[in-house]
Amino acid sequence: MEKTLTGYRYPDTSKKIIIIIGGFGSGKTEVSVNLAKYFTTTDKTPITLVDLDLVNPYFRSREVLEEMEALGVHVVCPTGGKFYADLPILLPQIKGLVESHEGLLILDVGGDSQGAKALGSISSFFVDDSYEMVAVLNSRRPQTSDVSGCLATMQRIELTAKLKFTGLVSNSHMIEETDLDVILEGYELSQAVSAESGLPLFFISGKHTVFEHMKQEFDCPVLPMTRSMLKPWERKEKSD
Amino acid sequence: MAKRLMKGNEAIGEAAIAAGAPNYFAYPITPQSEVAEYLCWRLPEVDGVFVQAESEVAVGNMLFGASASGKRVFTTSSSPGISLMQETISYMAGAHLPVVFVNIMRGGPGLGGILPAQSDYFQATKGGGHGDYRIIVLAPSSVQEAVDMMLWAFDLAEKYLTPVMLIGDGMIGQMMESVEFPDKYREENNPDEIEWALTGAKGRKARICKSLFLNPEQLEENSFLLAEKYKKIKKAERRCELYNVKDDNKIIITSYGTMARICQTAIDELEGEGVSVGLFRPITLFPYPEEELYAEGSKKNIKCVLSVEMSTGQMVEDVERIMKGKKKIDFFGRTGGVVPSPDEVKDKVRKILRIKK
Repeated sequence: MEKTLTGYRYPDTSKKIIIIIGGFGSGKTEVSVNLAKYFTTTDKTPITLVDLDLVNPYFRSREVLEEMEALGVHVVCPTGGKFYADLPILLPQIKGLVESHEGLLILDVGGDSQGAKALGSISSFFVDDSYEMVAVLNSRRPQTSDVSGCLATMQRIELTAKLKFTGLVSNSHMIEETDLDVILEGYELSQAVSAESGLPLFFISGKHTVFEHMKQEFDCPVLPMTRSMLKPWERKEKSD
Repeated sequence: MAKRLMKGNEAIGEAAIAAGAPNYFAYPITPQSEVAEYLCWRLPEVDGVFVQAESEVAVGNMLFGASASGKRVFTTSSSPGISLMQETISYMAGAHLPVVFVNIMRGGPGLGGILPAQSDYFQATKGGGHGDYRIIVLAPSSVQEAVDMMLWAFDLAEKYLTPVMLIGDGMIGQMMESVEFPDKYREENNPDEIEWALTGAKGRKARICKSLFLNPEQLEENSFLLAEKYKKIKKAERRCELYNVKDDNKIIITSYGTMARICQTAIDELEGEGVSVGLFRPITLFPYPEEELYAEGSKKNIKCVLSVEMSTGQMVEDVERIMKGKKKIDFFGRTGGVVPSPDEVKDKVRKILRIKK
């Protein structure tokens, strides 16, 4: 991605914990995985990716475990038989990681306010100003298609997570059908949500092939992504 | 309406609203609980009703009552839950009542697992409940097809006064795809305009919706009436889709649901290797597109009809019956939540044709 996209500012943070939350279909797992991948190319610090997606039984970051481990990202998720369970398993080591960890910790928090319950149960371990908590917004999802929907969803999550958002990620997408219009529509919506909530737009993300042909400039960093979670009939080389 | 990104389960819920059926009784079970979750916030917006029952058996009884009173009703569940509903399905078939069931299949038998499977083919198409009855069974392979089929399912249920079941492997419920809904949603039906609906007999002759006939001649008459109905359905409602079917095909694969999409990937890649394989995808599993399969499968160039399923071999028995020994029949399947990969399908095809990689 570096070769073709030199004109963009990429996401950066001085915080040591990034919490990524969105409802299903927001693309929070792809964002978490791609962000972790991106930081492996820029940062020498160790990266830990935690799967806190407790309600989605199918497409989760556990699926890309091997790919991430190969890149040197440490992945924390239930193992063995529990890998396939749709049980609310909150691993005991996660609390410890939040309290003390080396390098960067990325938490992939799943499934609307339900998934945020898991975060809420460990919220007291987070120190103010030591983390980013970002809402991943997809304008093509029913509950986050307009400003009021986004704000209501974020408020629900905050109440359950017992933590406040510090930023937004615009990740408007239609999976393989994502085009320029979808990404720009999401950018516009996220800017409006940003104006209304006072939260900064942390970055905009989307299919890297779309960004490569884009002439638009954005007022925020950009994270071009490649898709990690494929359907059983899809091939990696054709998924871009 | 702009295309939206939806999970299959959510889209199925929205499709029922589009079909004028905002009346939903259900009991949650993975991998289809998002239907209930979605309808929890969506139904109040359209003055709909969602009753979470105390069990799947109760769901069934609620459906019977609501359908008999002329309401357009549906439920969604997954394999073990659908097993618990078999009594009602049999009762409603016997009482000639329209209703739509959705089974987002998971691995079985018993509690099984929560990952995708297609091992409820027998249960759906051969009648999981008792008595001489069948139900119409539809098998979507994409989220958009699931939406379109929901609308069609209610049409079929009301046209033939019968239960209709949409069956999708867990992937249909869990995956996200872009989807479009009709611009104009259907109105709910008016029970007062339905000639058999139980709306209160004041000022008219009483009506009755039942499946109990103690007089054997009457019970036989009802069973023959049902048999006539199934004959009409078999004649008029068969649907299938062909993919890459051409004269140099050596094999026809039969596969339905998302399994058929995996086979398509395998077929495309085999074509690139000079191995020509066609796909026969039944869209209706009852009525099975029998004549269509026989016509394609018995062509001169075909060496083998291969059934690929997420089961240990269920639809393949229908394929054998339909092909009447005309061609060699083979089977490939994985089950329990293990989904066959395109590579496994390709290997199976090569093995049948004795082609080395």
